[in-house]
Amino acid sequence: MAHLPWSSARKLTIALWARPKRRRARLLAVGTLLLGLLLIAYGTASAQSNPLHPTFPLLDQDGQNVLSSGQPVSTMTTCGACHDTAFIAEHSFHADVGLNALAEPGETGSGREWDTSPGLFGRWNPLTYRYLSPAIDERVDLTTAEWIQLFGVRHVGGGPAETAQSGDKLTDLPLVAGDPETHIVDPQTGRLVPWDWQASGTVEMNCFLCHLPEPNNEARIEALHDGQFGWASTATLLGTGLVDRVGDQWQWNETAFDEDGQLLESNVTVQGPSSANCAQCHGLVQVGSQTPLALDSCAPDQWSTITTGQIVSPQRIADSGMNISSKEDLGRSWDVHAERILECTDCHYSLNNPVYYQETDDSQPDHLIFDPRRIDLGDYLYRPLHQFAKGQSAQGVLAPELDNTLRRCESCHSIEATHEWLPYKERHMDAVSCESCHIPKMHAPARQYVDWTVLQADGTAVAGCRGIDEEGETFSSVLITPYEPVLLPRDSGDGSTTLAPHNLLTSWFWIYGDPARPVPQRDLQAAWLDGSDYHPEILDVFDANEDGQLDQAELVIDDNEKETLIAARLAALGLDDPRIRGEVQPYSINHNVTHGEWATKECSTCHGEQSLITQPIQLADRLPGQNMPSFVGDGPGADSGTLYSTDSGQLYYQLETDETGLYILGYDSVDLIDLIGSIAFLGTLLGVVAHGGLRFFTARRRLPSQPELRDVYMYSVYERFWHWLQTIVILLLIFTGLIIHKPDHFGLFSFSYVVQVHNILALILVVNAALAAFYHLASGEIQQFLPRPRGFFDQAFAQAKYYLQGIFRGQEHPFEKTPQRKMNPLQQVTYFAILNILLPLQTLTGLFMWGAQRWPDLVTSLGGLPFLAPLHTLTAWLFASFIVMHVYLTTTGHEPLVNIKGMITGWDEVEVHHRESPSPTTD
Amino acid sequence: MKDFKYIWVIGLIVTLLIVVVPIALFVSREADAAADPYASLPQRVPHVDHTDLLPGPYETGSDVTRACLDCHEDAAHEVTQTVHWTWESEPVLLDGRDQPLTIGKKNAINNFCIGIQGNWTGCTRCHAGYGWEDAAFDFSNQENVDCLVCHEQTGTYAKSNAGYPASEVDLASVAQSVATPTRTNCGSCHFNGGGGNAVKHGDLDGSLFFPTENVDVHMGRVGLQCVDCHQTEDHQIQGHLISVSATDHSELACTNCHQGTVHSDQRITSHLDAVACQTCHIPEGAVRQPTKMIWDWSTAGQDLPEDPHVYLKIKGSFVYEENFMPEYAWFNGEADRYILGDEIDPSTTTVLNPPQGNIGDPQAKIWPFKVHLARQPYDPNYNILLQPKTVGEGGYWSEFDWELAARLGAEAAGIPYSGEVDFAETSMYWVLSHMVVPSEEALQCYACHGEDGRMDWEALGYYGDPMRWGGRSQTVGLNN
Repeated sequence: MAHLPWSSARKLTIALWARPKRRRARLLAVGTLLLGLLLIAYGTASAQSNPLHPTFPLLDQDGQNVLSSGQPVSTMTTCGACHDTAFIAEHSFHADVGLNALAEPGETGSGREWDTSPGLFGRWNPLTYRYLSPAIDERVDLTTAEWIQLFGVRHVGGGPAETAQSGDKLTDLPLVAGDPETHIVDPQTGRLVPWDWQASGTVEMNCFLCHLPEPNNEARIEALHDGQFGWASTATLLGTGLVDRVGDQWQWNETAFDEDGQLLESNVTVQGPSSANCAQCHGLVQVGSQTPLALDSCAPDQWSTITTGQIVSPQRIADSGMNISSKEDLGRSWDVHAERILECTDCHYSLNNPVYYQETDDSQPDHLIFDPRRIDLGDYLYRPLHQFAKGQSAQGVLAPELDNTLRRCESCHSIEATHEWLPYKERHMDAVSCESCHIPKMHAPARQYVDWTVLQADGTAVAGCRGIDEEGETFSSVLITPYEPVLLPRDSGDGSTTLAPHNLLTSWFWIYGDPARPVPQRDLQAAWLDGSDYHPEILDVFDANEDGQLDQAELVIDDNEKETLIAARLAALGLDDPRIRGEVQPYSINHNVTHGEWATKECSTCHGEQSLITQPIQLADRLPGQNMPSFVGDGPGADSGTLYSTDSGQLYYQLETDETGLYILGYDSVDLIDLIGSIAFLGTLLGVVAHGGLRFFTARRRLPSQPELRDVYMYSVYERFWHWLQTIVILLLIFTGLIIHKPDHFGLFSFSYVVQVHNILALILVVNAALAAFYHLASGEIQQFLPRPRGFFDQAFAQAKYYLQGIFRGQEHPFEKTPQRKMNPLQQVTYFAILNILLPLQTLTGLFMWGAQRWPDLVTSLGGLPFLAPLHTLTAWLFASFIVMHVYLTTTGHEPLVNIKGMITGWDEVEVHHRESPSPTTD
Repeated sequence: MKDFKYIWVIGLIVTLLIVVVPIALFVSREADAAADPYASLPQRVPHVDHTDLLPGPYETGSDVTRACLDCHEDAAHEVTQTVHWTWESEPVLLDGRDQPLTIGKKNAINNFCIGIQGNWTGCTRCHAGYGWEDAAFDFSNQENVDCLVCHEQTGTYAKSNAGYPASEVDLASVAQSVATPTRTNCGSCHFNGGGGNAVKHGDLDGSLFFPTENVDVHMGRVGLQCVDCHQTEDHQIQGHLISVSATDHSELACTNCHQGTVHSDQRITSHLDAVACQTCHIPEGAVRQPTKMIWDWSTAGQDLPEDPHVYLKIKGSFVYEENFMPEYAWFNGEADRYILGDEIDPSTTTVLNPPQGNIGDPQAKIWPFKVHLARQPYDPNYNILLQPKTVGEGGYWSEFDWELAARLGAEAAGIPYSGEVDFAETSMYWVLSHMVVPSEEALQCYACHGEDGRMDWEALGYYGDPMRWGGRSQTVGLNN
């Protein structure tokens, strides 16, 4: 018989002790039963020690045990006892953050004259605003030391926190006057004062931050803030029991170590990085899923949550603690990969991790499918490459050589197997990234704009968020309305471009000088603020309601006076030519992917007048200094759409499909083509009505003519069959084509279904036409369709004259219709044109549009959909016009319906001509 | 040709076929959706108002039964063939035993009020009959069948000792109200198992009389009655529970209604061979009202402060819990059974109804259970569980004398008794099948997989989390 289910008992025990005291006393009665269970419960609780990692001593920089030296722990020597930490630190863009790519200001491709690198160390960002001044600058904002203090929050150490731009150690730098690497700006005076690197120490690459289950990031940040750079790694251990902080001293706790000075086994908690480790710098990640997820502001500390609203959590959105509109219907999780227990490192793995390492197809000789020669685990653990697989993001331009090393969606997912329902699969995949449909909305707010042209009283910029209606008293009272990311073209890594979701973050700020620099925050504050109050001059101009305060609505430079005032006040601080600059930085959205059940599947989302692809996205409700921002140089978006502001001062961006080489059926149409087409169609219709009306009136004033008739077997069974089949097919093609062209007017029909029907009809049409052509060739009936050159113009003129005059006078047709000569010259020339020009054009354009997914290169070389589709539309209009004409002309027999009847039964009543008529048959 | 006037009709049909057939053939359709679950619901005949058919007055319950039998001639006979009447099964041969045994409430013990033998008058308040006061009850007397408890709709019917109608009941008006049984009828016994609301099952309690969809999606959102799923023919009601029934009658299953590919996600579908529907769709037991998780008989008889959820002098101490996380175990539909007289090992916990199945059993799936723990009386000399007399004369609940209760109970149950009473730990498994939550509240991957998952994979027989270590096929080579 099975044993007692202990885990249940344990849980009960816990529940028991959580009860109020009054009841607890009574519960002692069952204590005897539970006592044993309690013991078991405690026995099974275990520390999170890593049984695999050997124990080790903590060493300081000189290799001495910290217990004896009392010095800060050095990760490089401690971990370096077994792992090649020098190799690790050298091969890590997380450590480097742009140090090795430093360039002259303005030469980084970002378009900013002041950027010096592609990474955190040298690339300016309006969200963080502070600028790492190059040595050539007279007016210094950030020096290296202050950069570490502030930006060390999101820097793992190593790189520029240890090494000077020259490659020397920071601690070895000689003190050179004015050198931003050995000085720091005194916030009081704005002057450079020396920074003592020996005293502060430098920040080694912090292994603990990513490899301990519960690193103390707050203590680390605090140590950095305080300039105790050398103690940052030690601070990360605060709370683990290894080290304590007593006053401002760090004390190693000997009880955590054995007599040999090695960590007790239970204190060896080293692990591979969990998502929570990554989250410390990268964004909001929720690991324990039981607590309802909540944000305390629209821009929490987590970087990618600020910039895009991405939240990596397995929790259902409906179960979160956030005030999201229609939340109860959101049974999807925040991130399906988190829900399915993927860790960050499952996709962003170390590039030489043998578990994930895969040779690229093109680097592999043809005869090998799998190359078993690879580094073994021991090699990997000695030198784990700390370059991590990455994708390619609009904002991340660091380490471009590693772009798209990440396993992409399609590396793991079979698109074929799951998108059966999607017509034109390949075409869609060529044009649209997986994320475009699988990240339909962002359910957390994100920064929309930052306006540094004005300052709030606390010295920070005015900022706005998308996804929330307004800033409420408390953030929890604000309703979050999920926002739709904007789709921008993204380089897929193989040279092609697909649309992918982004947030657009717009910023305005003051720049000065030539080459331009952002105005340092302390100068901005000096210009705006007088202590903690606004300067009276500022209040005079900005305080519209004269309450002595400036609220967000007042804090905007919306006229010349304000702009001039601030510019003048900045100039007075010695800033040359202060002026407003605006920029738009796209941020890629690749997380918060959802399962297909929640992905965009409605065709009408894109194929319709309100196509998602060209939905304007609001960038800001302001346009400071009327300064139209421009896209950051190295990101997408700039060439794909337009920025425009509305009369009410709101700034929008809209993607233009023709700029991106897209032609979205149902959304795109060329107005000129539709105009020409509809004129042709309506003109024909009008002409026919006028002609028919005139015939009707003239016929009434005339005695009905009673021509001599005879029955002739005019059309063979096959001829009638192919004619009527073509009739049905063409009418349906025009109708379905119209639905595809303007789906918004035919909401009754499923777009996807209609597209498929259209294709099948087209195939029937082509087959029918081919068989008919064969029939006509083989039987010689093809002659019927060939105008004879001889006498053609006379005959055509005669026929035309008949339609213009004779028909109203009740005259006979100029040509007798016989089985050998069914068509008059005008018909022949019309059919000649239709069969040789219109039909092939219609068929081929249609074929290539269909083939856009099968032979994308061929179709692109033919002009792609943007060329083919309008042509297809135009020919369709002409076909429609022809049909009107054709049907009308069938009524010009001696009785209106006699020709149609002839095409049905095969037996035509034809007029017997007594006068000689010029007939090709007499030739 | 010319003579045949309507030849064109044929031409038209052929032409249209040429257009329509390829479209019908080649246009891709949505994958076949799951079958309509509503199609499996029973169709009911319109209700017949019995007001004029049963004018009354009736003196006894049996008077009513006789009146019912005037028209429904076979009804009582049918009832007497069911376990609702017999409280025991057909004889079954359990593993490791020589001869087939009948198992049921009639002779099996549990670890709540323990057993009915000797305690008939109290326990048979929930018997669908009248007058089961002792072992001599006549199971063949159709007039003892209680039609009312299942069919009356006034809500005023109540049963007293031995199942007789309570004296206050107006039998005529109750009889006139009869109709198809509702949750109220079934719940009057089944929601109160163990002696009170919510005590026993963990998935059946008074919150199901008028549940919201968050309590039970079938009864709350769809408004189903018990008998919509527990479909009934000739008064044989589908469904069974391993607390009283050892053999598998798998006639009642989620898949009776939810047929076909019910999950759009293949990843979920791939779980279905190893995981019962209930496991994900019943994330917690006792969602509204606490249920009894532990019962310690050994503390009974003391004059401590009383609270029906904590301590009662007649019963001992309890631990109740709501929203409890189920226990998970392999289960193939069958269970072993402790039979009165079986020896136990008092140093370990005796499982009275261990569910059968393991990772290597292709019929077994992981199921959610409420596991009820108890300390209950046993004979320390014979090492057998006792079945004390609690109700009535000499019963523990009036005398607080374990030895007397044990002796009287042993006589009634026909087991030996040495004269000593001690207490041994037992447990019982209660399958959770009700309180199914809406699909949007079902368990997600991380509930079981990953670091904080609720499954003890190694205890279940896996190498580790099957998400990483492989499922049954890798573990035991099971290819199902």
